[in-house]
Amino acid sequence: MAVCVAVIAKENYPLYIRSVPTENELKFHYMVHTSLDVVDEKISAMGKALVDQRELYLGLLYPTEDYKVYGYVTNSKVKFVMVVDSSNTALRDNEIRSMFRKLHNSYTDVMCNPFYNPGDRIQSRQRVEGQVSSLNWTVSLCRAFDSMVTSMMIQVC
Amino acid sequence: MSRPAPRKPEYHKINKDLFVLTYGALVAQLCKDYEKDEDVNAYLDKMGYGIGTRLVEDFLARSCVGRCHSYSEITDIIAQVAFKMYLGITPSVTCNNSSRNEFSLILDKNPLVEFVEELPAGRSSLCYCNLLCGIIRGALEMVHLAADVTFLQDRLKGDSVTEIGITFLKKLDEKKYRRKK
Repeated sequence: MAVCVAVIAKENYPLYIRSVPTENELKFHYMVHTSLDVVDEKISAMGKALVDQRELYLGLLYPTEDYKVYGYVTNSKVKFVMVVDSSNTALRDNEIRSMFRKLHNSYTDVMCNPFYNPGDRIQSRQRVEGQVSSLNWTVSLCRAFDSMVTSMMIQVC
Repeated sequence: MSRPAPRKPEYHKINKDLFVLTYGALVAQLCKDYEKDEDVNAYLDKMGYGIGTRLVEDFLARSCVGRCHSYSEITDIIAQVAFKMYLGITPSVTCNNSSRNEFSLILDKNPLVEFVEELPAGRSSLCYCNLLCGIIRGALEMVHLAADVTFLQDRLKGDSVTEIGITFLKKLDEKKYRRKK
């Protein structure tokens, strides 16, 4: 079960971060932020090999004692980072891969929305009304993306 | 000299996503150009009118429908033949009044809005598919029927279905007919 899902733009700013509501949500933000370095390292390491062979799924970026962080990068250098609870040993690589694939598909649907400008934050209007954080999110339209992420967070494994 | 055998009309296919994205880009650009929703709707209708006046020739050539004798026949042909041919959907037809000149096309599936979840903030009265209304209006005018075509319900605005209302006004006199701009 994912505890935090983040979509990072090419310029390394977050397009979307959503975590399971806990006491200290900020630690997930920090984890995602630090994982960006690892992502860049993996991309550049693979870049030395043939670019065609580069895979989108990056695998486990780094483990901590409570959580594991997985990464996925698209060809347009948009990164998806997922933080998963370490106690879920049942979550296999294939499942993480399929979660990332679903995330990628939902992201493409958001991109296809003609009213979404690439580079905007991904936020559905309904979330803005009930939001907890005080960040000023520009409203983009992606209820389906939000509900897809919710389903990933509450799925039982 | 022998005449070549008449060929069946060829249907060239394009990717549906490309078409839907093109239409979306068109509406998004109009939204950037015009602040008021009414202006955007009016321009979409006008563009649709231009398309409809031309499309009806293509439609009549390909579909070989016979002469219609009533407004309900015309609406049925629009729903079952034209929509099927160009958008791949078949809306259902209902008649709204007893004088049989107001009809509704109910679309349960609209391919044009596939990637649009909801209208952006501040654009709540935008009729996203108003091009369709213009197309129907232009096509009917080329067959000498004046009609008023609007959206009665729109899923993007929160209604349960998308409904296009066609109100037939009058038959245009063929001799005095002048092409409206």
